[in-house]
Amino acid sequence: MELFRYATSIYGDSKVVIGASWELLPWFVAAGAAFIIVHAAVKAIAGRRGHAH
Amino acid sequence: MTASETRAPVAPVVAPSSERVLRHALFDRIYHWVMAASVLTLMGSAFLPIIGFKFEWLSLHWMTGIVLTVLVLIHIVRALIWQDWRAMLLDGADIRDGLRKTKAALGGSGPAPGKPGKYKIAQKLYHFAAAVLVLAIIASGLLMLLKIDTPFWKRNPYWFDSDTWGIIYAVHGFASMAMITLVMIHIYFALRPDEWWLTRSMVGGTVSREDYAEHCDTSRWRPEDRS
Repeated sequence: MELFRYATSIYGDSKVVIGASWELLPWFVAAGAAFIIVHAAVKAIAGRRGHAH
Repeated sequence: MTASETRAPVAPVVAPSSERVLRHALFDRIYHWVMAASVLTLMGSAFLPIIGFKFEWLSLHWMTGIVLTVLVLIHIVRALIWQDWRAMLLDGADIRDGLRKTKAALGGSGPAPGKPGKYKIAQKLYHFAAAVLVLAIIASGLLMLLKIDTPFWKRNPYWFDSDTWGIIYAVHGFASMAMITLVMIHIYFALRPDEWWLTRSMVGGTVSREDYAEHCDTSRWRPEDRS
């Protein structure tokens, strides 16, 4: 997986960065989903532990 | 002398005559929701075409970007001049209570965390992250406007060489994708039942005296009563 999008330079002899790779888009969505799942789980476990005491 | 020391005296913290505490003035609520609409419009016009929903997105995107830029400038000026911008800065008590709260959530023992002032440590960290990303997006986006024709200016792509343009576009892209993560987290917290008292305050402006006393350290946040 690439971090950047590339194009051929106007001289045709090298690659130049033209921006961030859109292949990373699902990873940023996954990061948000992972945070939400972990936070919700921790809060649920902490809440259950609080009820038990 | 701090801003809180120079402010006019506030009304008593617990006034029996008032059942509600003003948390967000009307101006700030309008700002929040217009900003939310502009951010969602920018994200939709940026990412929907990438995932396959093709439409004429560029005009909508750059015009909404100008709206967001103006909104952020207004927010910065208002926060620096008319609001107590220090309320959004991390202080020692935030860090201490954040560590205690984390320890308690992981099952550890120790002193109970104190209550926050107007904003919790998580809100302050979120605001800092959003500020960094939005400012990066705005700065790079304004430079990217040099590459398009608009009714107000003609494109001039020769301001920077191709390598520099690549960095500008990469900053815009990475910060924009990271905003997706932040927006997801923001919506998640707004929808959590234990945070509804805050979400409702961004609609109606106020919180109940009970929520104020339950969730906030009344010595760290002393709001004026709503008349």
